[in-house]
Amino acid sequence: MVYSEECDFIFRLKGILEFACQLDNPNGVQSQSTISKSFQDLRSKVTSKNIVFTVCNSPVLIWPNTGFQSSVESLTEASACGDILQWIESDDGGSKKSSKKKDKKKSGPTVVNMKLLFEVTEPAGNTAPSLIRVSTQQHCVKMPLPLDCALSVTTDERLETVCTGLVEALNKQLADMEEVVLQYRKGSSFLVPQPFHFQLPEPAGLITVVYPAGVPDSQLQAVREDLHRKFELPCDRPYLRRANAFHFPDAAYKDGYLRNPHIHLNPPNIEDAKLYLVQGVYSYHHYMQDHVDDNGWGCAYRSLQTICSWFQQQGYVETAVPTHTQIQQALVDVGDKEPRFVGSRQWIGSIEVQAVLNQLLGVTSKIMFVSQGSELATKGRELANHFQTEGTPVMIGGGVLAHTILGVVWSENTGQIRFLILDPHYTGGEDLQTITDKGWCGWKGPEFWDQNAYYNLCLPQRPKTI
Amino acid sequence: MGRSYFVDEAVGEYLSGLQAAPGSCVTGLLAGQSSPQRDFVVLAVQTPHRESEGQLKAPKGVSPLDDIDVEWVTEHAKQVSRMLPGGLCVLGLFLVTPPELSKDAQNGLKRLIFAVEKYIIKGRLWELSEEDVTDRVTLHICSKTKKLLCKTFDVKDPKSSAKPADWKYQTGISSSWPMLTCSVEVDLQIPVTGSSSDNTDKCMKDGLRRWAKQIEAAYCLINGRQALDDSELISGQKKNPKTTNRQTLPARIFVSDEQSELGERSSALVQVCSGSMRVRGVVHCRAYIHNNKPKARHAAQAIKRDIINTVCSRVEMFLEDLCINEGSQKGLCSGQQALPRRVFAPMPISGLSVCDYMFPDESTADVAERLKEMLDCETPEEDIDTSLENNQLFSIISGFEITDSQDDDSSKHVSEIQAENHKIQKPPKYYAGVALAAAIALLATATSLLYFS
Repeated sequence: MVYSEECDFIFRLKGILEFACQLDNPNGVQSQSTISKSFQDLRSKVTSKNIVFTVCNSPVLIWPNTGFQSSVESLTEASACGDILQWIESDDGGSKKSSKKKDKKKSGPTVVNMKLLFEVTEPAGNTAPSLIRVSTQQHCVKMPLPLDCALSVTTDERLETVCTGLVEALNKQLADMEEVVLQYRKGSSFLVPQPFHFQLPEPAGLITVVYPAGVPDSQLQAVREDLHRKFELPCDRPYLRRANAFHFPDAAYKDGYLRNPHIHLNPPNIEDAKLYLVQGVYSYHHYMQDHVDDNGWGCAYRSLQTICSWFQQQGYVETAVPTHTQIQQALVDVGDKEPRFVGSRQWIGSIEVQAVLNQLLGVTSKIMFVSQGSELATKGRELANHFQTEGTPVMIGGGVLAHTILGVVWSENTGQIRFLILDPHYTGGEDLQTITDKGWCGWKGPEFWDQNAYYNLCLPQRPKTI
Repeated sequence: MGRSYFVDEAVGEYLSGLQAAPGSCVTGLLAGQSSPQRDFVVLAVQTPHRESEGQLKAPKGVSPLDDIDVEWVTEHAKQVSRMLPGGLCVLGLFLVTPPELSKDAQNGLKRLIFAVEKYIIKGRLWELSEEDVTDRVTLHICSKTKKLLCKTFDVKDPKSSAKPADWKYQTGISSSWPMLTCSVEVDLQIPVTGSSSDNTDKCMKDGLRRWAKQIEAAYCLINGRQALDDSELISGQKKNPKTTNRQTLPARIFVSDEQSELGERSSALVQVCSGSMRVRGVVHCRAYIHNNKPKARHAAQAIKRDIINTVCSRVEMFLEDLCINEGSQKGLCSGQQALPRRVFAPMPISGLSVCDYMFPDESTADVAERLKEMLDCETPEEDIDTSLENNQLFSIISGFEITDSQDDDSSKHVSEIQAENHKIQKPPKYYAGVALAAAIALLATATSLLYFS
């Protein structure tokens, strides 16, 4: 996760707007203009005086379209957006402190969550209601549009500018949604347009793309190609698949696995050495998770799961991380093992990891053989290159153990090297403090390896695709 | 323990002034506001005399208690609750009986109070919350000794027994109750599936219910402050119940389009409809809240319920009326028609206001007549405030035409007329209004005779 140096805040505005229209004939020529008109009405609604932003967990209400009014006197047009923080009640002041002990780096931008509301009071007119009845056969279409706009700003940006920016973003998002709805509509079947945020390399920064719900990434290749061209993104790695969506710092991961525990560690300070790390996001898989007691035999399986989680979260595959059974079945399917392998507690090694990655994920891997553990210290260049070009986690098996290598600190001149190791032998719970304190994720020297055993390393290669 | 009812002295005067024919009973309603700690009664109204259509029901034999027309009492209760602004409701019943019937009065009251509650909540679009008080008061008055016996029943529990309660008189109970007000813009698009009039009713009900949920869930500001928590509505105010200063607190309501049933869909909901209905316009809402340390969120609840009730009541009234006029044709017609508009009048006794709904062809004279019948009070016509909701002028002309106007055309029409309305900001002068209404009523009658003959 790379944050722009200057961005202190992300203002995120979410809300649901109901799209509704009546079509006389869904397949007729008129229907497109009826749909467009409904979207036009929604855009008017969003630029009207009735829209209100409420800042979650605070008493602050802002009317962005009336020359900026807020419900709190001290917040005016001239206020810097950072001023809003004093009004927000945070629910977990406590837990933030413990994770900061080892982390001297900036923890990323603060997210200010806002919700979109509409005022129904203070109307323009005063005419009592009437009932209008229409009795022509019609198709009534209703669809909730899940609006979600995000703006990255610095602390001293004025609040008024932020709000105007959000209103513009809403307008643009509605226009994007209209395009997607019209493009993927078949008669009276409408797909819900869903916004996804992506953090792209500067200067693009945080962008939002609208994709139609239910259409898999594989069918949206052409859309991504256009966007890669537009934002000048490399054409050999995914940036805009749904799995690549930006993970907001304040959101928890629902599956409960820890992500990138290594970012809480300080790399060793070696003179003249450079840092080469895994790129992107992986989940920490280890012994005893998912109610599977694999203590003593499952370490390579867990390392493989960590690697699979990397490919899933970078958007290369949509399949879930495989279970021990699925891994074993895959090996039977390729003919590497007998059917009775499934359900056993047999160990696997780098070759099997390579085979499963190929079978289940379509990922190829290089195998590096090291005849003695002591030789690993000389593999600095290869590992550095791997992390620079592929950036995938590396599974290493030898002696009687399997581990995952997440990076190296290596000096080209002196040859000094340290390895960032993620240890699958951990049997405890998802406690970041314990995992980093006790070295279950930690930096190790060359003496970590069994100097006499031989090792095989599996280096997964990124597929060249977007 | 029991509940305590604080009752305006003027209510006491009304009750002592009731005349019952010898040997017979008088029933009536008690209205006011309940709060968790205590209850307030600000209005008592006897059940109006029902003009029977000539049929004389033979007395059932045993006692005049059995002759009480339960249906009529519940109908009266429903009409009266439509006339009460937010925060106020029918709290219970009173029954005046001769001394010999006093023993059986309790059973009579119990039957009545459950019947009334059941009828009033039919068709209501919001549910009682856990905090709402479900005790209702029954007051028995002996016509000879004037002795009062006050008890409560929990209408949530059909098996509940009467609990004793206190009945205390005070002056000016509601004189300084704050009044919440707002005007709410309503624009509901409701698809109609099927073509019978039952379908139309059901679709309308479903549509209104979804809208009511939005309002209930809405964010609310009262007098500029958030109204969701247990903070006091009016903090830092010197409490002086003797002041006649009634505060007006403006409320603001903010909705989001969040509809839970449309939540996690990946495609749109498409229905084939035989038509659609649209309720569009501005409703003026009022609610009162007692001044015994009221909480902000109870006040918010009161005004929201008033918003929901007022839209629901007038749609109900309109559809009932339509049933009589159009009969089975109801589901198939097009056009734009005015819903009855809300007018306010001062309540007898307490200085609070009550409301009524005026159809386009009616006048303040009709309203005054209804107030007399339903609330047993004389209201001078000039005291009836019709200025809070503007008349929908166009509809009086086109209301009885069955046109096939497309939605676009009628909304254009509306906007033309609304532009005219904005120019006519001041309420029409009373006398001109009556003359106009009378002329139109005549025209309408003529038209309807022609049309239906």
